[in-house]
Amino acid sequence: MIDVEVGLDKLLFSLNTLSELADVTVSGNNFYRIIKSSLYMVMGSFPASKGAIFGYDPAKKAYTPIVAKGLGDINDINIHLEEAAIRGFAIYNRPLDLTSNDPAVAMLGPARDMLERLGARLMVFLVVKDEVLGFITINGKFTDDLYTPYDIRVLHVMAQHIAFSLHTHSLLAKLLHKYTENKELYDNMRRIYYDTIHAFATAIDAKDSYTKGHSHRVSAYCTAMSREMHQTLEETEGIRIAGLMHDIGKLAIDKTIINKNSSLTKNEFIELVSHPVVGYEILSKVKFPWKGLPMMTRSHHEKFDGSGYPDGLKSTAISAGARIMALADAFDAMTTDRPYRKKLSFIQAMNELKKCCGTQFDPEVVHSFVSVIRKEVSGKTGDLVILPMLGEELGGSSGIQEYLNTFELPAA
Amino acid sequence: MQNKPNDNNNVKKRGDCAVLYPDGYINDIEGEKLEGVCDELLQKGCRKFVIDFSNTDIINSIGISIIIGVIQKVRDKNGAIFLSGLKKVNYDIFNIVGLTKQISVFKDEQEALLWASGDNKGVLM
Repeated sequence: MIDVEVGLDKLLFSLNTLSELADVTVSGNNFYRIIKSSLYMVMGSFPASKGAIFGYDPAKKAYTPIVAKGLGDINDINIHLEEAAIRGFAIYNRPLDLTSNDPAVAMLGPARDMLERLGARLMVFLVVKDEVLGFITINGKFTDDLYTPYDIRVLHVMAQHIAFSLHTHSLLAKLLHKYTENKELYDNMRRIYYDTIHAFATAIDAKDSYTKGHSHRVSAYCTAMSREMHQTLEETEGIRIAGLMHDIGKLAIDKTIINKNSSLTKNEFIELVSHPVVGYEILSKVKFPWKGLPMMTRSHHEKFDGSGYPDGLKSTAISAGARIMALADAFDAMTTDRPYRKKLSFIQAMNELKKCCGTQFDPEVVHSFVSVIRKEVSGKTGDLVILPMLGEELGGSSGIQEYLNTFELPAA
Repeated sequence: MQNKPNDNNNVKKRGDCAVLYPDGYINDIEGEKLEGVCDELLQKGCRKFVIDFSNTDIINSIGISIIIGVIQKVRDKNGAIFLSGLKKVNYDIFNIVGLTKQISVFKDEQEALLWASGDNKGVLM
């Protein structure tokens, strides 16, 4: 019920403004624009020439201006209210006439002087769930009329809409803060995780003085081939990590066996070839965020024709990751010195890949590997992965381009 | 709320008076450009203004707030400002918020200019 006589035109104007305010507060506009539009609606409704909307700034423990009109630059103004007063205003929760003798005005304390200096005549708190999120201040009417009880009721309703906006913004800000905090934690954990994996890879390679950097190179080759074969980002990341860990089973093998430069005894050979299974058993106990890592490790010595170990798997019974890794592992073994032989040249290694295409290696994988090398040598990609790993073996050799031009593989 | 870009605040000089012609709708904070135009003219020394609303279809509470801002700025510089050409729907809003008691609103630009020239013969709405 309205206790003052209000014309139909004014009622309709108020109704229209409230409806527009409701639209603005739920619009997808940015927060500042919403609050600015809201203040202008409040000021245009009565009308007032000076006004501001303040919001609580937890860092300053004060209410600071979000937007102001007709007051010049008031950005450095901080309104401090006592906690007891804030609790009181949350309960009181109705517009305050700052020129009145209302006891609630006295609760403002020193803030009252500050508000008077801003020319504030009415103050209305923005309260949601007993929390004073901010307040609106406006000066006397531009028309010199007094604020009527009707005006004060309309202002209160408008404040409730604006409080909703502030509340939503405050929730989003808290959510964003939590998200940032969690993301930082996640990034830290992720960094530790990767550092640990790299440390493992280094430890694995340290078992064998000849294979320093082997796991990192295998990982890089695997990543390049996975991308070339258009595997998903997740699959590519999985195989990158698997490349680093594929020889983890060697940690359990006697170092003298790994570094032996003469023929292995039967038992030594059995121990050495057990490393994929040992690796599988180690990695099976770890819950990785990528699929198939333990099996890639287990199967990286399988051959496409079924003559590999430990399970004698054939063709696509071997996971795609393991087929890629088999080539990467063998190529790196060929192009690095071993205790029992010198490394092969790039061309010799490529000829070996060609020879074993379809028997030891999956032809599709061999094609992808050659395609990556071709792109890197021809400069079609700036993302060099394989060439830097081959070092001086390949660097500056103009014959490589010519060799690759004539290099042909059986159809995949 | 309907929005229409209001970036075409045409200005014409009529003697010592600047006539501003806001376009379309003044129902969005984009309408604040009107205050910017007025600021520039005040800085250049202009002290007499007519805002002609004959091309303005809608003015809402945001528009009222912006127009009050313009009026206040002109008055702060001891200038004079007159309004003209308000459509009935907009005149009613000015009336509801009490602005028609504060500022002279003329039937059209010519009447406002007549008044602004000091003839005191302009026809009010």
